[in-house]
Amino acid sequence: MIDFLITVSIISSIGAVLALILVLCERYVVNYGPCRVTINDDRELDIQGGSPLLTVLRDEKIFIPSACGGRGTCGVCKCTVKTGGGAVLPTETPFLTKEEIADSVRLSCQVKVRNDIDIQIPEELFNIQEFKSTCTEIEELTYDMRRFRFELVDPPAIKFVAGQFMQLLCPKYKGSGEEVYRAYSIASDPTQRNLIDLIIRLVPNGICTTWCFDILKEGDPVMLNGPYGDFRMSETDAPMVFVAGGSGMAPFVSILSEMRNTASKRSVKYFFGGNTLKDLCMANEMKAFEEQLENFEFIPVVASPEEGSEWAGQVGLVTEAVQQTYSDLSKHEGYLCGSPGMIDAAAAVFIGLGMPEDKIYYDKFS
Amino acid sequence: MKQSPRDKKLEEVLRSTHLVAGGFMGSDSRHPIEVIEQDIIALEEAGMTTARLSQRMKELTEIATPRLGNWIDGALGKLRVKSEDFKGALVCPWPHPGTFDKRITTVEHLETGQQVTWTDLNIHMIAEHGFFEGKGAFFRIEPAEIVSILFEDEAGI
Repeated sequence: MIDFLITVSIISSIGAVLALILVLCERYVVNYGPCRVTINDDRELDIQGGSPLLTVLRDEKIFIPSACGGRGTCGVCKCTVKTGGGAVLPTETPFLTKEEIADSVRLSCQVKVRNDIDIQIPEELFNIQEFKSTCTEIEELTYDMRRFRFELVDPPAIKFVAGQFMQLLCPKYKGSGEEVYRAYSIASDPTQRNLIDLIIRLVPNGICTTWCFDILKEGDPVMLNGPYGDFRMSETDAPMVFVAGGSGMAPFVSILSEMRNTASKRSVKYFFGGNTLKDLCMANEMKAFEEQLENFEFIPVVASPEEGSEWAGQVGLVTEAVQQTYSDLSKHEGYLCGSPGMIDAAAAVFIGLGMPEDKIYYDKFS
Repeated sequence: MKQSPRDKKLEEVLRSTHLVAGGFMGSDSRHPIEVIEQDIIALEEAGMTTARLSQRMKELTEIATPRLGNWIDGALGKLRVKSEDFKGALVCPWPHPGTFDKRITTVEHLETGQQVTWTDLNIHMIAEHGFFEGKGAFFRIEPAEIVSILFEDEAGI
């Protein structure tokens, strides 16, 4: 038994030492030298090897969407690496389907550029820009949600589709030793091209939201990039059901603004869920949309109204309110934004009421 | 205490702010291995194992999750529980693939008002690594305290 333990210890120690040597060599000794990144068989970047592909592209102002800022936790920054990417890493496999692996799809944050590499990315990503902006207004919406307004400085204007999201660069600060990017849905009117509103909910111990709530002040410069995402209103006339909670409010403010701008007559019921009355927000803005849009109804739903409150609205989970309102959603389209759990629960309700899965639209990460 | 290269690397990762704001060690100056050893002793003194504790934490999280962040009380004796998920994921700092939903569960003892909060990552780190985080870390869990809240009704605890 003792021999066995000694053998295991020796092998483990040798493994640990070899791993350490590899890490140290990678950091201090290995020089990958110049590498060439070929994009879409057309554009070529000559760079110094050794950095993740996501970072290499970002340094060249080519922005692959990423909700976690390159930590390998969101699975969003996918691109096709035709040659030179090496083997798929264990950190990537949870985010890739068998088909994607067969098609050479990789997470760009996990692929290190060590040699010449040939990649394929959607052409529209070349249109994504980096913006210098100034935070000009911070508005408390609830105890844990704020609306941040950013006036664009350089370039001074943006074109986006209602429903899309931006990435915000959170700089180093006391609680975070490195820059990180986080994704937030745009909450502003697409016709206001010189500004971006983001609605951000404080995540306990979240790196970026803690910075936004505790450190960011009006007048501070902020870097944004975008716009990203396919979440948007379809071009059909189908009646729509919006379901949101918390900062999931953001893209719907933008979409409703777009509908108002185009005098849309499309039917929308918007269910917004809060745990208590303290979680509700923007009631006046929603009321204004009800007045401006012919077929729009805002339905706030509170799960547990505070004792003694005079809440006259719907009580329960937002998903229960949808179930009570509809018996058949087979001709409707569903739009969801909020926490992953809420999205899963609401999608299940939609499907249970007959809504086709391909008519349910959401961005879980936005 | 002489550290192996692996222990040194682990300490570096746990103290860094790469994965969570403020890191996993908070203001704790002890080595993570020391933190783990002392917390396991505290847990054993409370008559508990990491397997049983993490199983109870997991059960409570699963009970609360369908209520989308709302308190559930009544069916849990002297406890009430809520579980709220946020966008994003948490990554285990140990060198193995492991990402967890950013879900925060809070349990409150209705009589004493004591509260304990954990993430899905805490459950994993307690179950697999015996790690309750360093003192001062945002999601540090005190072993004796969580046992007293979650297992108060059980004989022998």
